[in-house]
This record gives sequence, C-alpha cells and structure tokens, in this order.
Amino acid sequence: MIPEGMHDVLPPETAELRAIENALCRRFEAYGYGEVRTPWLEFAETLEAAEDDTLEAGYRLYDQQGHELMLRTDMTVPVARLAASRYRDKPLPLRFCYVAPSIRPWAPQRSQDGEFEQAGAELLGLSSAAADAECVTLLCDALAGLGLSGYRVSLGTVAFYTALVDALGLPAGDREKFLEALADKDYPLLESIAGNAEADEAALKALWRTLELSGTRDGLSQARKLATSDAMEDAIQHLVEVRDLVDDAGFGDAITFDFGLFQDLTYYSGVIFEAYARGVGLPLASGGRYDGLLERFEWDIPGVGFAISLDRLHDALEEAGAAPAAAPACLTFVGGLEHPEHAMELRRAGWAVRALREGAAPQARPWLVREGNSYRLELAEGTAASGNWKDVLRALERA
Amino acid sequence: MRIGVNATGHGVPAALVDLLEAAGLPAAGLRVASTSSLATVGDTTWVPASGADVLAGCVRGALDAGIVGKDLLLEEDPDVYELLDLGVAADAIVYATPRVATAGRERSRPRVATPYPRVTRRHFGATGRQVEAVAFAAAALAPALGIAEGVVELRSRVAGAPLDLEVREEVAAVSLRLVAGPAAHVLLADELVALLERLRPSLEG
Repeated sequence: MIPEGMHDVLPPETAELRAIENALCRRFEAYGYGEVRTPWLEFAETLEAAEDDTLEAGYRLYDQQGHELMLRTDMTVPVARLAASRYRDKPLPLRFCYVAPSIRPWAPQRSQDGEFEQAGAELLGLSSAAADAECVTLLCDALAGLGLSGYRVSLGTVAFYTALVDALGLPAGDREKFLEALADKDYPLLESIAGNAEADEAALKALWRTLELSGTRDGLSQARKLATSDAMEDAIQHLVEVRDLVDDAGFGDAITFDFGLFQDLTYYSGVIFEAYARGVGLPLASGGRYDGLLERFEWDIPGVGFAISLDRLHDALEEAGAAPAAAPACLTFVGGLEHPEHAMELRRAGWAVRALREGAAPQARPWLVREGNSYRLELAEGTAASGNWKDVLRALERA
Repeated sequence: MRIGVNATGHGVPAALVDLLEAAGLPAAGLRVASTSSLATVGDTTWVPASGADVLAGCVRGALDAGIVGKDLLLEEDPDVYELLDLGVAADAIVYATPRVATAGRERSRPRVATPYPRVTRRHFGATGRQVEAVAFAAAALAPALGIAEGVVELRSRVAGAPLDLEVREEVAAVSLRLVAGPAAHVLLADELVALLERLRPSLEG
C-alpha cells in the first residue's frame, strides 16, 4: 500500500511525538534559536554540496524546465543554503532550529526508515569551544528537559584522529583505508592494515589503548599520554574546554569522551558528538562542527549543530518510562451531535468530547458510565429541558 | 552484562566455550545451551541465538555484546563495532569450482551459488569480473544440481561436496569476533574494556 521504508503514524503515538516536538522547540527557543522551515525539494546540486556518498541513490525528479531536483536528505545542508542565500548582511552569529522530516532511500542494512523526522539546531558564525559547548549543552538540556535520565553524550574530534593517523606514517592508500576502518570501528582490520604497512610500533600500541579506553574513566588521560604532536594536544585541549563549559552549565555528568568517535560525513571538521540512552542501540542524536560547509555556498563562516532523531528519542523515553502524556482522555457523548450546545458547554469546561448520534432507544434518565480512562455520557429524552442536565454537569465536575 | 552468542543447530562451538572459560567467564552452561534459552550466572546473561539475532540485539541495544562469525559481519555490514578477533572457528570464505570442468559452453557471466551474495558481488566486482550471484544456502551442492558453475562458501563446507570442488581463491579469512553496538560502546565502555582484558590473555596462550 505504501512504498518501502515509508510509514504512517497513528494516535496516540502522534500526540506523544507532537509533545516531544513542542518541548524540544521550546528548549531551542530558550537559547535564542529561531525556527526555520525549508522546502522538501532542493536543487540536486545544493544537496550534493555535502558530498555524502549515501545521497547517490537519493530520490530525484525533474521540474518542467529540466532542472534536477532532490527530496531533502537532511536539514543541515538546506539550513546552510538558507543562511548563505538570505542572511549574508545580518550580524553573526546566527541561530536556527527546525523540526522536520527528511527522506533517504530506504536500505535494510541501515536501521533507519526512508522517511525520518529530526529536531535540530545550528549555530553559525562562531568557531570557539564556547560555541561547541553551547550546542552540546542545548542537546543535554533538551534531553534532560523531557525527563530522559541516564543518557550520555560522547565527545570526540575529527582533528585528533587525523593527526594521530598522520603520526603512524602510513602510505596514502593505507591511510584512506585506515580512516574508513576507524569510522567502522573494525579493530581487527585496523590491526591488519597497520601490520602490513609496518606502522610505527609504539604509536600503534598507544592507539589501540586509546581506542579501547575511549569512553571509559581513563580515556582522557590515556589520550593525553598519546598526544605526540601539537595538533593532537590542541584537539584534546579543545575537547576538555568544551566539557568544562558544559559542566559549568550543569550537564557535566552526561559527558564522556570517545576518542574513537569518527564519522564518515565529509563536512564534519572539528568536534563531533553523539547521544545515547539505554534500550536504544543507535545514537539518539549526533552533531558536530562543519566549518567547511558554508564555504560550499560561497560564504566562509564556521558552523556547529546537531540533529535529534524523533523516533529514537521517543523509544528511549518509553524505555525510561518518561513518555510524554498523550492527548487528554476523550469523553464519548451519545447525542452530542444533535445537541452541540451541550457538547460545547462540556468543551468549555475543559473536557475533550467525542460527539456521537443519539441512540436508537433513548434512555429514561441520562446516564454516565466510566469508559476506558474517561466517561460515556448518554442523554435522555428531554434532558435539556429538565433539571437533569445540571445533574450531569455536577456529576462530571465531581469525576 | 547480556552477551549474545552465535549458536547453530549444533549449539555453541566447544572451542568458544573453552576460550570463555579460560578467560574466567562463567560460560559452562553454554555447552548444553539451546537457542531458546537464557543462562544467567552472576552478572552475566548468555543469550545463545542465531548470528543474525545476535547482531539485531546488539544494534537495537538489547544485548551489551555479541559473538558472531566474520562471514556474517561481511555479508550484513551491520552497525556494530568489531572489538576482538577471538580466533575460534577459524575458516575462510573461498571461491571454488569443480575440479573437472563440466561439459557445456562457457558463460559470459558465470553463476556463483553462495550463502553470501553481497560478499560475492563485492569480491568479483572489485576484481572486475562479472558473475551472477545466486543466493543458495547449501552452496556446495549447487554445481552438482546444475544451478551454478562455481560457489563462494566456507572452506570447511566446500570439502566433501558431491561434485569434487577445488578452491580457486580465498575471498576472506573468517573467525568468531566479539562485537558491540554503538550504544553499549558508550554506555558500557568500562565493562567492555574489562571483558576485553579478560579475553585477551587467553587468546595469546
């Protein structure tokens, strides 16, 4: 009935998702991020600026003039396009947020639906650790604000690994393969590449130790020991600064370091981070610094941001027993269609009312019974005229 | 910790249980485990299951770690981190064809029967050869049935095929690997490192 990878959302799940979306938007706005909407369709050329391999099979179509169009595959690139084309003369920094679905070709081996909804924030025009920290803080605050406990945000940096791999002294071809295996966290493959290429023995040993300990309590001190160049020390120092600032904001407990964190998106350039929670195997959110992206739209300003997966966050909240309250319980009002004045009176009193047609055999007296987590109300003939309607209202008030 | 272990109809490989026990892990129960049981000893719950289920459990965050074959990892390319080569159940995915070529014309696109169609397509594609990968679980039988001219299959399963098969090339070395899902890698980093540290010495022995 619907194309592979697409899905419907039914009540009450929709209401829960809406509550999550609203809570996230309010958090983003509390930090001065303005919500933007961008079109579903962009020029293929625009999205291809991200140089993301997974887009090759994206959904494409042509307009009447023969331009190649694409359905957007994430929001970071459209927001970058929007900023570069409409905010050039505005003072920096710029802060944007969004809650929006995107679409990618469905692939069974990636555990992501074809259509997926994300809530995200982008901070453009600042390149400091403080800007990175604001984004990480906002992510933590948004997750914590929804009542999610025990989540972790792991911080890593692209700069550390590129410097470290340079120190191994691998030939160019192996270096490429090594970085790919690093992104996959395929440790046996890393070992075999390094072994074949006769990489520096001591550096390699230290690398394994760091990879292994990343995320643990000793991870940071291990990475510091390993830093053999200024570039690596700077990268670590930068992460520590970010962590300290997030700590000052009150979310230090959620932060872990992952020196093995390495993503294959070509536009990430500095800090990268991912959020995890128990019961959901894949990251709830991921983000990072993408200083080269805006340049592809001919505006050379830095940027950092993140996107939260609404579906995974919803799962995590459910797992943690913190799913937001669904829509209010709905009162079933038999006869409500014929008596909109009564239905309205109830709604004004705060009830959600589902009006039905009058029953075939009218009751002698109005009756009110418990139904699910609400009530079922059936009018009797002449209820409105008699004093009975007042009784009904009183009964509902007590309920 | 909840650890998924690749089990087949024959149960969990004895060499794997030996290794786990040598590392001081309470794995004795796995010797008689079936795939529909959970065995909890102390803090460790063993979940014997099919390799695919172990991977799904790791990716979905239901299992903290898993032990599966490299062949499955190559075929499925799942979202898990491969932490350690356990060296157990060492084998290789190989390309084999009948020792004596069967009569008939040579195909411009030979058919290769395999339980690993993705691995097969990737391997031949990377070496610039065109084959038709035919998904077939009992691949070693396929040439005798006339389904394919060659097979890509584990070396151990190629031996003893009804039509005498000769290994032409090795596609990939495989063995059991310790894996973890991305979430476990962050949320249980300390526990995973402790597990690695227990396993590593018994590997070197």
